Parts: sequence; structure tokens; C-alpha cells
Amino acid sequence: MAPIALSVTLPGILATCAGGENTVTVEAETLPGGVEALLQAYPLLKVHLFKDDGKLREHVMLLYNDQSFDWLESTDIPLKEGDRLTVLQLVSGG
Amino acid sequence: MSKTIVLVATEKGAFFLHSDGERKEWNVSRPALKGWKVNNLLLDERGAPTLYAAVGHFVYGPTVQVSRDWGETWEQQEHGPKFGDGSDSTLKNIWTIVPGLPSQPDTLYAGTDDAGLFVSHDSGAHWEELTGISQHQTRGEWMGGAGGLCLHTILLDKDRPGRIWVGISAVGVLRSDDGGQSFQPCNEGMPIVIEGKEFKNIGSCVHSMVQDPAQPSHLYQQNHQGVLRSFDGGDHWERIESGLPSKFGFPMVMDPHDAKRLYIVPQEADEYRIFQDGQPTVYRTENQGDTWEALRNGLPDDCYSGVLRHAMAVDSHEVAGIYFGTSGGQIFYSIDGGDSWQTMPCALPRILAVKAVAVKEA
Repeated sequence: MAPIALSVTLPGILATCAGGENTVTVEAETLPGGVEALLQAYPLLKVHLFKDDGKLREHVMLLYNDQSFDWLESTDIPLKEGDRLTVLQLVSGG
Repeated sequence: MSKTIVLVATEKGAFFLHSDGERKEWNVSRPALKGWKVNNLLLDERGAPTLYAAVGHFVYGPTVQVSRDWGETWEQQEHGPKFGDGSDSTLKNIWTIVPGLPSQPDTLYAGTDDAGLFVSHDSGAHWEELTGISQHQTRGEWMGGAGGLCLHTILLDKDRPGRIWVGISAVGVLRSDDGGQSFQPCNEGMPIVIEGKEFKNIGSCVHSMVQDPAQPSHLYQQNHQGVLRSFDGGDHWERIESGLPSKFGFPMVMDPHDAKRLYIVPQEADEYRIFQDGQPTVYRTENQGDTWEALRNGLPDDCYSGVLRHAMAVDSHEVAGIYFGTSGGQIFYSIDGGDSWQTMPCALPRILAVKAVAVKEA
């Protein structure tokens, strides 16, 4: 299985963790592999997206194309051409 | 020639106010670390000038950021403070970053919420936990205040390497004599707000603490319930509140050239936490707290904000400038020892910390 390019969009405030870009591309075969590749390429993102116990921070949402990870029956999905990963900040803040 | 830089940490970024040694005209920078909550700032001048920022965000968590170009660009430190695997503690905020002793130019200490003490020996690139705080025998009975269970103050003893004092709300003052491996509470004489069930020597809510640089065992503190001093390294504390309108307040600073001169900003206790009657007033002692004098010439009326614990500072000019920032985003300053006050030409987000430095130019 050949690696597929996964387009990742980040909140603007986290662009500094990805060399100033809020859209980056990583390559992987699966969706979990894409998340892992994102953190490998941009390790400064890890502390902002995940807590010390490895769970996603409460107010961070990950979207696979337009679907929340929480809505997926399984995130163990083979990637295909054109797939997108979006990191969203839940709630608006003050 | 010299210049003055006031570092301002706010809810929405860091700002730098520049002036010359006269401190009459000020230029305000655009925000650095825009959008991030900057809890505190440190300008470390032990080597090449380096800025450290204790940064947080209600979604994305806390980090240490470093700038070596006066705040133009910042580098997030990948291996910042972190509690050990299996710890019950969570890193919610970094409250303070302080330099180590001059003999350890690459050493920094950080205090956090949950209460933790961390040290870096490589200028902030890597941090290790000093477990004397996080594994303290009384920890199970610690309770935080409105700002969380925060270790907000760290003081070192230049004459006795290994001696460290910390201030934790609402636990009190703890002292280590072995570089942070173990700590003992130093709260005798201090008011206790939340007494432990088993441990009666904790539960005092120190808000800020300063130290005489020439005599490190001379300590002064603004507490939730009083103003106190200790001349024996925290073994005993005595109240110094004569002439004060309120025992409640957050910041305390010391004149860098006269350790008998201290400044505080009393506030209305304690469910209000704003200036009494809308009148911000600084109180000055020139005798180590024996008596206090009210100073408000030039300060506004109808100002119903407050000052947080780290939001007051002094610079190191011959006549030290005194600065305080409010939760309403204003900064007031004095260049005559507090006799008169002026307002900085800016309105910033909620101010969390203020630092001031005098920089000599070649």
C-alpha cells in the first residue's frame, strides 16, 4: 500500500508549531498513521492537541474530511487521494 | 545612555513598552504571542539577553516559549515542565519562571498549577520535576485558591546554594535546604485560611513574597489575610499592617536600592478583589513595614479593577521606576518613588504580570 498525501488544516494560533503554515501535508497509509505522521513532522503540536494521558484535549476536535472522529465507527480507515484532516477548536472562548 | 523596557503579560499576548532612562515618552509594541495567555515573562540577562514566557491557553495548554531577539520571534520548548508518568497532578498553567543563581547561568526554575517546581539546567530546553513539592507528605491536604493550586513564587538564597523558598496558594511558604528534594512548611505566625485535617502547619494563602537581596533570610509577603515579614528565613512571621486600610492584596515589590522600602496595593477583601471605593492606592513603607503611607497622587478615581500578584514591578534605574498593571488593562507608573503617578498611553487586555528593566546601551 503506497502512502497517501493527507492535507491537514490547523487553527491559526497553532501555525507557529508547523513552521508558520496552517495547512500542511503529511503522508500515511491510514488515518491514525496520518495523525502520527503529523506529530512526527511537527512535534510541538502534541502538547496542544493531546493531554499527558494521551487523550485528545477536551476542546479540540479532529475532523476526517467533514466528519468528527467521534462520529466514526472506527478511525482505522485507509487513506485515499484527496482526504483531509482538520483540527478545530471547540467553543469560542472569551 | 540607558533605556527602559516594561514587559507586560496579558490574557491575550505579551506587550513591550519602551522608553529611555527619563521614562517620560513610551512606545508600545504590537502584541507578541498574540492570542495566547501569557502568564508571566522573564528577561534573563545573565548571558545574551533572553526572554522567557510562561504561556497558556484554555484549549491548547501550557508551554514555555523563548525569544532571543527581544520578542520578535519565539520558540516553543518541546520538553517543557511535565509531571512524571503516573502522577495525580496535571499541568494546568505555568505561573512563574525565575533565573537560577548567578553561578548557574543556564539554570531556571518554574512554578506551576497544579503546584509543581521544575528546574532546567539548559536554558529552558529541558525541564525536570523537583519532587519535594509534588510528593510532599502534606500534599493530600493542599487546596488551591481562585487561581488554582499554584506555585507562584520562587526565591533562592545566594549565600546558601540549595536553599529555596516557594509560595503556594493556599498552602503557604515552604523551604528547601537540599535543592528542592524536600521541603518544610514555614508558616508559623501566618494566618491559616484552610487548615489541614492532619497537618496544621499548612493552609496559609501567600499571595506574593519578596526578599532582601543582601540578606536572603529577610522575607516579606502580601498574604490573603495580612502583610507579614520574617527575619529568620521563614521560621517565624510577624504582622506589619500598621496604617493599612485592608489586609488583602496581591502584589508586593521592593526598591532595588533600599530593601527597607516596599510597595503594596491593598484591595477590598476578599470576595470583591478590586480597589477600595474605586481608588487605586499604593502603600509604601520605608522602614521594613513598621509603618505604611498612602500614595495616590495622579491615580484615577472610579477605577473598579484590581492588580494581580505578578502585575507590579520595579526597574533598576538609580531612582527606581514603579509600575503596576490592572485587570482592566491600564498601567500606572511612578518615577519619583511613588510620590506621583502617571498613566501609560495604552489600554491592554487583562494584565497578568509586569516586569521592568533598565538596559544600559553601549
